[in-house]
Amino acid sequence: MSALLEVENLRVEIAARARRLVAIDDVSFSIPEGEVLGVVGESGAGKSVTGTAILGLLERPAYQAGGRIVFRGNRIDNLDGEAMRALRGREIAAVFQDPLTSLDPLMTIGAQLVETMLTHLPIDRQEAWTRAHRLLAEVGIPAPRERLQSYPHELSGGMRQRVVLALAFCCEPKLIIADEPTTALDVSIQAQVLDLLKRMCRERGTAVMLVTHDMGVIAEAADRVAVMYAGRLVEIGPTSEILRAAAHPYTQGLMASIPTMRRRGGDLLQIPGSMPRPDAPVPGCAFHPRCSHVMDRCRSERPSSFVSGASLAACWLAEHGAPAARPRP
Amino acid sequence: MSTTDRSNGMIPSRWWDSDILYRFRRSPVAVVSGIVTIALIAAAIGADVIAPFDAFDPATANVIDARLPPGSEGIYGDIYLLGTDPQGRDMLSAMIYGLQTSLVVGLSSIALAAFVGVLLGLLAGYFGGMLDALIMRIADVQLSFPAILIALLIDGVTRTALSRETHERLAVPILIAAIAASFWVQYARTVRSLVLTERGREYVLAAKVTGVSTTRILASHILPNVLGPVLVIATINLALAILTEATLSFLGVGIPSTQPSLGSLVRIGNEFIFSGDWWISACPGALLVILSLSVNLFGDWLRDALNPKLNA
Amino acid sequence: MGFLISRLGQTILVLFVAAFVSFALFRYVGDPVNNMVGQAASLADREAMRQALGLDDPTLLQFGRFVGQAVQGDFGISYRFGQPVAQLLAERFPATLELSIVAMIIATGLGIPLGVWTALHRGSWIAQALLTLSLIGVALPTFLIGIVLILVFSVWLGWLPSFGRGEVVSIGGWTTGLLTWTGIKALILPSITLGVFQLTLIMRLARAEMLEIMRSDFIRFAKARGLRRRTIEYGHALRNTLVPVVTIVGLQFGNVFAFSIIVETVFQWPGLGLLIIQAIQFADVPLLAAYLVLIAFCFAVINLAVDVLYAWIDPRVRAAGMGRSAA
Repeated sequence: MSALLEVENLRVEIAARARRLVAIDDVSFSIPEGEVLGVVGESGAGKSVTGTAILGLLERPAYQAGGRIVFRGNRIDNLDGEAMRALRGREIAAVFQDPLTSLDPLMTIGAQLVETMLTHLPIDRQEAWTRAHRLLAEVGIPAPRERLQSYPHELSGGMRQRVVLALAFCCEPKLIIADEPTTALDVSIQAQVLDLLKRMCRERGTAVMLVTHDMGVIAEAADRVAVMYAGRLVEIGPTSEILRAAAHPYTQGLMASIPTMRRRGGDLLQIPGSMPRPDAPVPGCAFHPRCSHVMDRCRSERPSSFVSGASLAACWLAEHGAPAARPRP
Repeated sequence: MSTTDRSNGMIPSRWWDSDILYRFRRSPVAVVSGIVTIALIAAAIGADVIAPFDAFDPATANVIDARLPPGSEGIYGDIYLLGTDPQGRDMLSAMIYGLQTSLVVGLSSIALAAFVGVLLGLLAGYFGGMLDALIMRIADVQLSFPAILIALLIDGVTRTALSRETHERLAVPILIAAIAASFWVQYARTVRSLVLTERGREYVLAAKVTGVSTTRILASHILPNVLGPVLVIATINLALAILTEATLSFLGVGIPSTQPSLGSLVRIGNEFIFSGDWWISACPGALLVILSLSVNLFGDWLRDALNPKLNA
Repeated sequence: MGFLISRLGQTILVLFVAAFVSFALFRYVGDPVNNMVGQAASLADREAMRQALGLDDPTLLQFGRFVGQAVQGDFGISYRFGQPVAQLLAERFPATLELSIVAMIIATGLGIPLGVWTALHRGSWIAQALLTLSLIGVALPTFLIGIVLILVFSVWLGWLPSFGRGEVVSIGGWTTGLLTWTGIKALILPSITLGVFQLTLIMRLARAEMLEIMRSDFIRFAKARGLRRRTIEYGHALRNTLVPVVTIVGLQFGNVFAFSIIVETVFQWPGLGLLIIQAIQFADVPLLAAYLVLIAFCFAVINLAVDVLYAWIDPRVRAAGMGRSAA
């Protein structure tokens, strides 16, 4: 059976005044049904752009310049606006970073749930309200019947993100693109919301593309990990293996930063230097200016993906299937 | 507001160092409106040289040549490019002198408003407390009334308080003060909020600690930082002030009709519209629109280019 | 409710200041005795009058008396018209209100749809053209718009009257021109003139708000929920756009009142504005003083109404009790 979602050689460009900037390039991965794929990287690495492209929500000046997105065996990146809209929310749902701003402030929570269900499902209004009530109870909102009539501002941040989860799950989608779903929340709430997301997915067999910059979240929730750097996929493989023995020096650097990242704010400082911006691309491997294992070849030739154990790594060190250099002490 | 707000391009710390000239050349609207504005200001300054006739000299008025359409020839062989007014004055000359009056009143009232507003804003922001509360409360109250109404009421009050002759003599300064009175609030609010953010900054605190006097801190440390935004507000307000002057003069409560301003010229022409003599109103009216439009567009561009936070 | 109380406090302060300025004008600028007895009275008569009017009483007492009379609508006799001021104002008020309301209906009825449309069709050349036109609209002085309209539609085409209210119908002391054909025809040019500036303002504001809302996270999330475009644009974006726009529209009503002075002068519209221009030109102190109080009262009522309306349409304000940030 083929994967639920397949992304093949995806390329997204941004039309700037004089030239085209490459936001993501040659990104390929797949997500089987029910799997949680973590997508990790620094901000600006192209994680969110990938998610946005899958949802068909790229907006000018960004556009898909190449590659294919296949969902349940059908290509979806070339669907017309209306067909893609019918798919969004129904088959592929989304959870965004900031629960404070994801909900329409002038509409009650119940109305927003009902509106979403009536758009996609062949049910009547009364049935929709019943389901909305059940969903709120399921995501752990106390006094769900009263809360249906609440406006977003009357709920706390954690409660609001639970409502956003209810909205994402309300049409029983096959895939959820969760873009930094816990980043904006208090640390104490983060784990609760993540557990809820995991539990709901497990119960329904929903697959998740979990975009985050937090390796802690990945370690806790993801079955497999895709690591992005400067618009490209640098490594992808099972979470346990990546955590234990990452092949790409960049991933190793990320791993080294895990312990401090359990505290917020200490992210990715372990690797000196900064990621190249799309308007100043680096020849060869994009990571070479920061890489401690850099070779002459890295400066001129871009590595393709090589098999390394159960993973794929885009690094010359992994060319001959040998495990990469040991993680730095 | 934190230091990061500032680096997000709200005001470059020295805006005149920015690429503003480059951006000016790249924007056709800015170039055209800028050139028109400067040309009109130049025409107003050189009115005595440029105008074909002296609008203040009764000898040039010639009742026989009254209300001639544009391009007519007068009885002494003068060509009136834009026609003549009911007193037989050359419209073009009257308009150039009117432009002068309009610009003088507009610029002076904005300068006065900016001076008063910046001063009050500095005081309110720096000292805070009761003074701040008082100034800002007055600003709130005043802001809820439209500029034209405030100017009208001030003119009305002075008219009742002064004798007719005194009022006529002081008409221009009164008009300037009346317009300024309705425009100072925006400066005061903007400057106050900027001062509030500057006040907590290290260099101001350092100056305080080393015993620099309050006046010097305000004048040498804080004032330079507020000049950029003030300039932008002034440019945008200039168009409004010119329109306010024209409107008041048109209503007959601004510049006396003995002295040409664009508004009073339209007022004179308004009486002759029904006889079909449209140019007496239309020509000064068109000039007024060109003036306010070009100043407005230039101000808009300047605001976008400098991008200071104006909605303080 | 807290913010409503603080707004109420501010309103009362505004009214008090207006009343005091008005009183000072009335008492110290004009000569109340002249107002009462005319220029011809002898010195002794004047002195008796001063006593009778209590003009030698302490200022505070006089101010109290002034406020007391003002509350009862007694502002004295107009110098210029020789009629009680209150009666003059009451006669002229309906004309101005009718003009202002019709102008505001034109401005909002066209301004909001045009603003929303130009925001949703940002790239189209019609939107660009409308935007350019609105920029010119801002730079056009109201009196010139009126003169051009008169020139074209009254003088050249002869379609519409250029002055007055036409035939009016009086209903219980309230006069309206909306019930007669000539009244409606007379209203067209002045209300368009008065509405143009507000129209451009509302259109630009609605456009800016709509663009801002369309960029917001909850619209992006609504798209991700797969809602239909019409639902997103009109159900979510427009509703959120209307909150600040309605506030501004309400506050602009005060401006319309002020600008009606200009329009009434151009069109010789027999309303408050025309009256007050005459009062200023003739230094008619009682009329001026009364107008000041009336206009402050109108502004206070409008501001309060906008606050209530704002709290009513926005659940966040209703609950949190925060006022609008700035006018």
